[in-house]
Amino acid sequence: MWDTYIIIPMSNVLLWIYEIIGHNFGIAIILFTILIRAITWPLTAQQLKGTQGMQELQKDKEWLGIQKKYKNDKEKLASEQMRIYKERGINPFGSCLPTFIQFPIIIGLYQSIIRSLAATPLSLLNLSRSLYSFLDVSQIIPLNSRFLWMDLGRPESINVFGFALPTLAIIVVITSYIQSKLMTPPSNPGDQGAAMGNMMAIYMPFLMGYFAMTFASGLALYFIVSNLLGIAQYAMMGKANWSNLIPGKKS
Amino acid sequence: MKLKKIFILSAAVMLFVLLSGCSASAMRSNSWSGLSADAEKAYLAKGTFVYAISLSNGSMAWRYPAEKADSKEAYFANPVLSEDGQLIIASAGSNHSLSSLNPATGNLNWTFSDAEGVWIASPLVLGDTLYAPNTDGKLYALDLNGSFLWAKHIGGALWAQPVSDGDFLYITSLDHHVYAFDLQKKEVTWNVDLGGAIPGALALDAEGKLYLGSFASAIVSIDSQSQNLAWETPTKGWIWDAPVLDADTLYVGDLDGYFHSINTADGSENWDAFQPDGPVTGSPLVSKDFVVLGTESGTAYAIDNDGKIVWQQNVGERLYTNPVQSGELLLFAPTGIKIKIALVALDIEGRQVWQFTPEN
Repeated sequence: MWDTYIIIPMSNVLLWIYEIIGHNFGIAIILFTILIRAITWPLTAQQLKGTQGMQELQKDKEWLGIQKKYKNDKEKLASEQMRIYKERGINPFGSCLPTFIQFPIIIGLYQSIIRSLAATPLSLLNLSRSLYSFLDVSQIIPLNSRFLWMDLGRPESINVFGFALPTLAIIVVITSYIQSKLMTPPSNPGDQGAAMGNMMAIYMPFLMGYFAMTFASGLALYFIVSNLLGIAQYAMMGKANWSNLIPGKKS
Repeated sequence: MKLKKIFILSAAVMLFVLLSGCSASAMRSNSWSGLSADAEKAYLAKGTFVYAISLSNGSMAWRYPAEKADSKEAYFANPVLSEDGQLIIASAGSNHSLSSLNPATGNLNWTFSDAEGVWIASPLVLGDTLYAPNTDGKLYALDLNGSFLWAKHIGGALWAQPVSDGDFLYITSLDHHVYAFDLQKKEVTWNVDLGGAIPGALALDAEGKLYLGSFASAIVSIDSQSQNLAWETPTKGWIWDAPVLDADTLYVGDLDGYFHSINTADGSENWDAFQPDGPVTGSPLVSKDFVVLGTESGTAYAIDNDGKIVWQQNVGERLYTNPVQSGELLLFAPTGIKIKIALVALDIEGRQVWQFTPEN
């Protein structure tokens, strides 16, 4: 099921792009990421709207009032919160959904990259059988996994004075951090949600960086392009909070 | 808000676990066994272990490593027995190791692990030099103590054992080419583009004719003297591994499930392609009275020179590995998910003599 509806179509689209752009797997991953971002654009816009709505709610008098009034009655508090969500058309999980959509895409892309590069005999045999007829399979196999200095099927590092520096992972951390920070709207002092958001903005980039350092560098390339496109999207929608990037400035 | 963050963090951790699982299983599952044998033992390269199995009763004589497996090793190239009594094993794992074992005990003699890529191909031992093609596109030369001599770039990923006439090595590559490497000059002197990846080896006859197939769905003959294409015979499906020569006949199977007998003189088919019950990946084995092949459907066949079935035996799981003969035994290494049988020995009439299942 997962193979039929996720991995095989993704591998075929990836390889189709690879074929039409002249056998460059790195460019194919970049274009594929742009395609994924374009498809998930409405979801990302919804995520931003949801985040903003939730943030505005934190400052709302009625919201703050019910927090105080029902602080000892969790059940009543939950039902009042739901009422406000409903009245204002806010989906509390609306801002989570695009993030969750990303996870199967990341897993699917990772598996598609590994499958497409077919590093072993059985994987090459399986790949040859999972490609659609519009691809000229005998010509595109084997895939050229080199892109710039990287082998996209393996974790990346550059040797600097005998030390293996994971440059892509570092770029993933930086771009993930910038993206998280730009997404964080201004908040009030003592706002627990904002504090949690700031914590997420710190540890999520490191987690993504760890993925990038450990797994195939094709995945790191996806993370970087996806982050850059995310930043561009927030900026285009006028939602980017650039002041968050200035060190020492309170958000 | 807090719930949402915990949710995302939990999902991220799950993602990490899933990705870790994917990458580990990618290497573990994507392999079929390598197999070779001498008069006493079969040597089976299967994942993280290499097994020596006694041919008399199918019991394990030793395994390498003897104790705990190294998850960075993935053995599936056919182990190679050298004339000086070494067993050379090549790993497609991230250690990039090419090692020599004592075939009597399984003890390690030496390991070379300086190649940039992994080893899918078996090396070729010629005189006092070991020639090892690597997926990094280079041919590595080592002495028989495992010391590095030189490495030369050949082309794309090299997946198959080279063949030699003493002066040249003939090396196939996934980059669609077959290369002739001059052993004196230590350089490629010519190459031919076959129009499709060549994952398997080639056959060479006494007159210097090369015979090989590719993903371009054809068997070709190339004259190594003139480098000209002598003939080309289309096949129904892709050719994975080397054709096998028997006098003036060439036997080869294809991935569409056809088995061909081809006249080496002009490339004509001796009989209408025989159709076993599944694709044929491995090279066939020419035995005394018949030709033996295995199919992806898990059936071992013996067919005579006219393409008639002498016997057939279901081995149970997929047969990708080349069958091997030692004395009166025919050895098949199935690749299975459900059944864990790693090696099956049949007698020359197709009856099962024993089977070997590795312990966990």
